[in-house]
Amino acid sequence: MDDVTEHVDRLVTRSATGDDVVRGPHFTSDALPVTDDVITVDCISPSLSVSTDVYAAGLNSALQRWSKVEPQSVSLNAIVNVSGWKPPKPKVLTFGLTFPEAVTFLPSAEKKPDEDLRPIAPPKPESEPATPAGSTEAELLGVEMPKKPLTRIKPPKDALSLEDRLFYLLQPPLQTWLAGQELIMPFEPFPYQYEGIGWLFSHSSALLADEMGLGKTMQTITAIRLLVRGGQARRVLLVCPKPLLPNWQREFRTWAEELPFVVVEGDTDRRKLTYTMPGVPVLIANYESLVRDFAAFNEGEFPKFDLVVLDEAQRIKNRTSRTAETMRALPRRRSWALTGTPIENRPEELGALYEFIEVIPPNGTPDLKQLQTLAKEFILRRTKDLVMKDMPPRLDRDEILELSPGQRYAYDQAEKEGIVHLNELGDQISVQHVFELVLRLKQITNWDPLTNESTKLDRLDADMEEIAASGGKAILFSQWTKTIDWLASRMEPYGALVYHGGVPTKQREPILDQFKHDPDKHILLMSYGTGAVGLNLQFAGYVFLYDRWWNPAIEDQAINRAHRIGCKSQVIVTRFICKDTIEERIDRVLREKRELFATILGEGDNLNRSLSLNASEIFGLFELKARHGKGTRTIGPKPPEAA
Amino acid sequence: MSVKDAQDQFRLGFLAAVEDAERGVVGGLLVTNRFGRPLEFQCTTPVKPNRTQQILYGPTLRPYLLAEVIGRTLLDKVSVKPHLVLIEADELLDLRTHVDMPVASFVAKPAKDDESILRVGQQWLAFHAEYAVDRTAVQKRASQVPDTADLKEPFERIREALTETLKGPAARSA
Repeated sequence: MDDVTEHVDRLVTRSATGDDVVRGPHFTSDALPVTDDVITVDCISPSLSVSTDVYAAGLNSALQRWSKVEPQSVSLNAIVNVSGWKPPKPKVLTFGLTFPEAVTFLPSAEKKPDEDLRPIAPPKPESEPATPAGSTEAELLGVEMPKKPLTRIKPPKDALSLEDRLFYLLQPPLQTWLAGQELIMPFEPFPYQYEGIGWLFSHSSALLADEMGLGKTMQTITAIRLLVRGGQARRVLLVCPKPLLPNWQREFRTWAEELPFVVVEGDTDRRKLTYTMPGVPVLIANYESLVRDFAAFNEGEFPKFDLVVLDEAQRIKNRTSRTAETMRALPRRRSWALTGTPIENRPEELGALYEFIEVIPPNGTPDLKQLQTLAKEFILRRTKDLVMKDMPPRLDRDEILELSPGQRYAYDQAEKEGIVHLNELGDQISVQHVFELVLRLKQITNWDPLTNESTKLDRLDADMEEIAASGGKAILFSQWTKTIDWLASRMEPYGALVYHGGVPTKQREPILDQFKHDPDKHILLMSYGTGAVGLNLQFAGYVFLYDRWWNPAIEDQAINRAHRIGCKSQVIVTRFICKDTIEERIDRVLREKRELFATILGEGDNLNRSLSLNASEIFGLFELKARHGKGTRTIGPKPPEAA
Repeated sequence: MSVKDAQDQFRLGFLAAVEDAERGVVGGLLVTNRFGRPLEFQCTTPVKPNRTQQILYGPTLRPYLLAEVIGRTLLDKVSVKPHLVLIEADELLDLRTHVDMPVASFVAKPAKDDESILRVGQQWLAFHAEYAVDRTAVQKRASQVPDTADLKEPFERIREALTETLKGPAARSA
C-alpha cells in the first residue's frame, strides 16, 4: 500500500490554489497495483482551450491568390541580345637567347688536296655513276646505315647561368659543325678528338694532357677555330717553345686555313707592335720573347686576350720562375695549358699549372686529394692504349752491349779515378760531384775520345745498313750535341741529317722536310732538348736512344715523335745500354721511375712519392752513401730548353 | 661575305615542346643558319591549361596550345625571323594560319613524285594544304641547305635545352 501512495504522490501535485492536480499520464489499471483497498482519487478536468501564436508570413494568402497572366506578342525577326563567353588565351612569358655573330673570313684560294690527308668526303671516281638526285647512299643500297655517334658539347660545371648552359646545349654536334660545310676539315678527327675539341670549347680553364702523339695540336687549333668562328674569341695568344714555332704555323695552315695568324718575331718595336695590332685573331709567340716583351710594357698596358694557350706547359712547373710569373700575369679570359707530361717529377708540379688556369688561388697548395678532385674537372688526359687500340704497336728492345777493349779501359780508369776523387772529398762531397762523374762515364760509353772506339756505333751501323736497304727511316736521340756531331760524319753513308740546338731555327724545317721526302736520307740525329717535343715524324719506323735521359717522360716524348697518329707500321725502339757500366744502373732507376709515373697518372696509392732521384739514389750509383740531406733534389741536367 | 649576303642566307626555325606532368608544356623555337648553327633561341615558361580549357577544347587542346598559344607567341617574339618553320607533328601545321611564314612537317619519302612534298637536306617536307605557294618559296632557297643536313637533329637540342630550363627555378608557370 505504501507503494501505491508513493506512486500517487508523484503523479498528484498541489496546484497554486492548494488543489491537488493530477499530471498525466492518465491512470490506467496497469499503472497501479490492484488491491482490495478503496482509493479515493480527486480528478480534475484541465481546460482544452490552449492559446497558440501564429506568424503572419503571407504565404498562405499568396497561395490562395490566382496568378496573373498577361500574354504578349513578340516578333520572331527581332534582334535578341545573347551574352557570350570565350576562354581567355593563357598568358605566355618567354625567355630568349641570341647567339654572338660569327666571324667570317674571306674564302681561301682553292688548292690541290694534300695526298697525305684523308678528306672527309673523298671525291668519287669518275667511273662511279652519279647518285640520283634526292637519293642518299643508304636509300640506294636499300639498307639503314648505322648512324655514327655524335659528339655534343656539354656545358661546363662552372656555367651557372641558364644563358651559358643553353649556349653550349644548343650548339650543333661537332660532327655536323665540322662536316666540311661551314668549316673545312682536311681530314676527319677521331672520336676521342671530337670529344677533346668539345671539351676545350666549353672550358675556360683547361689542361689538355693527352699522351704525346694523340693530336693535342689539332684539337687545340680546331677548338680555337670554333671559338673564333662562333664569336667567342677574337684575340688568341698561343705560347710555345721557340723550336715549335714552325710546327704550329704548319698545323694552323693545315687545320684552319681560313684563320689568319701572326708569329711574334722581329726586333723589340716590331714585336710590341704585333701584340697591339688589331684584327689578328691568333698570335703565336715563344716563351722567351714573351717574357721579355711583357716586361717592356708598362704595368696594365699589355693587351688583353680572350684566350691564352700554353703549349708544353710544363715550362711553368716552377711557380717562382720568371716564365711562370709572366704567363700568370697575362691578361686573359680563358686559359688553356697543353702538356703530355703534367707531372714530370712531382705531383706538386700540377699546382703550378692549376694556378695558371686559375682554378686555385695564387700560391695555393692543394693537397693530393684536392689535386685529384680538380683533375676530374679541369684535366682531360687520354692515353694511346685507351683510344688508339688499332694503332701499330711500339716494340721496345734493350740492346745490352759489351764495351770495346779501348772503351772498357778508358771507362774503368775514369770510374776508378772518379771514385777515388769522390772519397777524397770526404764531407765536401755533393750530388753535383757525383753527377759530373756520371756524365763523364756516360760519354765514354757513347764513344772513347781517345781511341774513337764505340760499341754502340758498331751496333748502330749494323742496324742502319739493314734499315737503309729496306728504305726505312730512323731517328736517333742523344743527350749531347757533341755526340750527335761525332755520329753525323760516321752515319754519312745513310744520309744522316742533324737536328739539334746548334742548328739555326730557319734551317730546321727544311731539314725535317728533307728527311721526310728524300729517299736517301735514312737517319735523323736529334738531341732530346730540341727534338723531343712537338714534331711529327710518324713516317719513321725506328727510334734509337743512343744514351738515356734522366726522366722517362722525356724519353717517351722523344719516342712518340715517331709512334703517333698516322704511323702506318710498328715502331721499333732500341735502347743502347752498355753492360757493367753506369748505364745499367741508371736503367734500373729509370725503370722504377717509369713505374711510379704510371702509378701517378693512374691515380694509384703512391702519389706522395717523389719521382726525382734523391741524393741517396744518385750516391747509390757508386755505392756511396749520401753525406748531406735526405730530401729530394733534382740532379739531372737542365730540362730540354729551346735552342 | 657581306652583311647583305648573310641576311639572305636561308634561316630555319625549329619549333618543339616538352611536357612536364606538373608544370605543363614548355615550347622552344631555335633559329639556325642553313648549316644548323644557332642564331637565336626563344622558349616559353610552362603553360598549363585550366580545367575550363581542358573541357572546352577537348582533343584540340594540344594543337591549340602548341600552335596558337606557344608557336605564335614564339614566332612573334623572335628577332631573327626564320624563312621556314619546321615542326615534328603534322597536327601543328595549322600554325601556318596564325603566322605569315611557311610551316612544314616531316613526312616519309613519297613512293612516287608528289608535287606537294619537297626534299630539304635529308628529310622530306609537307606544307599546309591551303598554302601551296609555300613549297615554291622554300624550294628557291632549299638548295642552300647541304644534302647531308639532318633537319631532325636540332629538335634534340631544343628538347635538351627545354629540359634544362625546367630544372631551374625560373621555370615558373605562367
